[in-house]
Amino acid sequence: MSSLPDWLTDDRDSAALAAMLDPLSSSSLEALAAEAKALTLRRFGRTMTLYAPLYLSNYCSSGCAYCGFASDRNTPRRRLEPDEIRRELSAMKKLGITDILLLTGERTNAAGFDYLQRSVEIAAQEMQRVSVEAFPMSISEYRALADSGCTAITIYQETYNRERYEALHRWGPKKDFIDRLETPARALEGGIKSVGLGVLLGLSDPGEDALSLYRHVRHLGRTYWRAGISVSFPRMRPQTGGYEPPFPVDDHALARMIFAFRIVLPDVELVLSTRESAAYRNGMAGLGINRMSIESRTTVGGYHDTEHNEKGQFEVFDDRSVDEFCSAMRAKNIEPVFKNWDPAYNGHAEGNSSILHLENREQCL
Amino acid sequence: MDFLQLGSYTFSSRLILGTGKFSNTTVMLEAVKASGAQLVTVALRRFNREQLADDLFSPLKALPEVTLMPNTSGASTAAEAVRAAHIARELSGSPFIKVEIHPNPQHLMPDPIETYEACRILAKEGFFVMPYIAADPVLAKRLEEIGCTSVMPLGSAIGSGQGLATAEMINIIIRESNIPVIVDAGLRSPSEATLAMEMGCGAVLVNSAVAVSEHPPEMAEAFAEAVAAGRKAFKAGLMPKSSSAIATSPLTAFLGVNT
Repeated sequence: MSSLPDWLTDDRDSAALAAMLDPLSSSSLEALAAEAKALTLRRFGRTMTLYAPLYLSNYCSSGCAYCGFASDRNTPRRRLEPDEIRRELSAMKKLGITDILLLTGERTNAAGFDYLQRSVEIAAQEMQRVSVEAFPMSISEYRALADSGCTAITIYQETYNRERYEALHRWGPKKDFIDRLETPARALEGGIKSVGLGVLLGLSDPGEDALSLYRHVRHLGRTYWRAGISVSFPRMRPQTGGYEPPFPVDDHALARMIFAFRIVLPDVELVLSTRESAAYRNGMAGLGINRMSIESRTTVGGYHDTEHNEKGQFEVFDDRSVDEFCSAMRAKNIEPVFKNWDPAYNGHAEGNSSILHLENREQCL
Repeated sequence: MDFLQLGSYTFSSRLILGTGKFSNTTVMLEAVKASGAQLVTVALRRFNREQLADDLFSPLKALPEVTLMPNTSGASTAAEAVRAAHIARELSGSPFIKVEIHPNPQHLMPDPIETYEACRILAKEGFFVMPYIAADPVLAKRLEEIGCTSVMPLGSAIGSGQGLATAEMINIIIRESNIPVIVDAGLRSPSEATLAMEMGCGAVLVNSAVAVSEHPPEMAEAFAEAVAAGRKAFKAGLMPKSSSAIATSPLTAFLGVNT
């Protein structure tokens, strides 16, 4: 069994975060909120950038104990075909969405790399920004994906506690803790411009996971200096499959974690999805969080096919329409921003030694 | 009259406004009007042709007194910035391009190497090139040599509100420059804008300080007045500073009276 990388256990610069996360610490929640608000305002202004998830496929080869799409569940399986993807995109565009996250399960024959790459190409023709949350890939696959129009990869470690991780991921490719841990670095090596990290709150000790997550962010930032990094705070929701999270994170603890991350990472994007309630998201907007999902459908084909009521991966808590969501943001003096990217900036990122490429630059221009 | 000359354009206002970070487009437009700015910058990534409610570009284009300066914020390489400049020119019709290349999307510091490359190409293509740069006097001269219309050194880190932390370098850039020097980024208060203008900047660009204020139009107006005051003071000529008092027994008395 390969050992843990040094950066994961290095607690040199995580002391400030550890202190803030401690509910008995001297910094009150209110004081953390005020500081997080000021930092968010300074860096992101009075804006909230928006995205929406698009579930391409719920085929899966892994046995995550907590997931509604795990390979032993009886959920009906399907994947979207190109025409269906176009219909989904068109339905999403009607809602104003320009920034999407494509999702699949772990790699299967039905939904493998070629399928994913084709889907990215289709999405990039319609959307301004395309991100992917799928399965771990190789560096060359990531490079191909970037050149097909994928800007960002979301890959959650779920938990950084190796023992818990290996118990929860019962079989399949996702069982390999170290491979999962190294995936964001591979994406950046391949020229993906931005990676989204997170832990699935509820699976393991949240304080311990938060510190590891922070170390991961710092490690990637130091190693890949061009990398865009975002952090999400997904909290376990009632899942298809009925998994009860053994380490539930309450509203106060989640808020404390988000404020603390904003304070220690003042210019990193912090994301909060529709797993949280409308009231909670309204409250957290601008208090650290600068990016949110909207109108999420967690079923395959959920945007254009609103007749079927099959079960999604998890239950969406904030089911407001785009208009309702935007009105709530505007009431808080926050502008919802649908387009905050341009395909002019697509393509794989330069390597860490781009100066060597200068002489070849003329041809690309 | 005292005009700011940028390429073939002349402007009577020396305040340039950024248009991001506002709580809504209406407030942003009010701030632009209140600022009296005749040149405003807008990011290509905030051009949204498909959803006008989300588009910053069309409402600005409708202001007859305003010239648009698209910017390439989001670009991480010269190639991307050049591509963005072409698209922006086609969409906006403006000859101005503010070259912003920041490979690290967290701290947004400008990449001098990629910026130089992009500016060289865009200047050759006839753009009025306005590069956002670190306050580096040598880079500023290199950019002047390749035909940039202006250089835009940062006063301090973008969005930081740390004011003119780079004043010493900006003074050198101004002293050596044959093109207008525009302080871009970092200003928090109108008094800092006055100071920049007193130092001899051709203009200042402000965004966060206005957008994030509680009352953006009022803050925009305050910046306009501050910029005008600083410019007037610069033109009038500040009294010389002396660090030492004049001694009552002059050090040079031994020289006798000069006849």
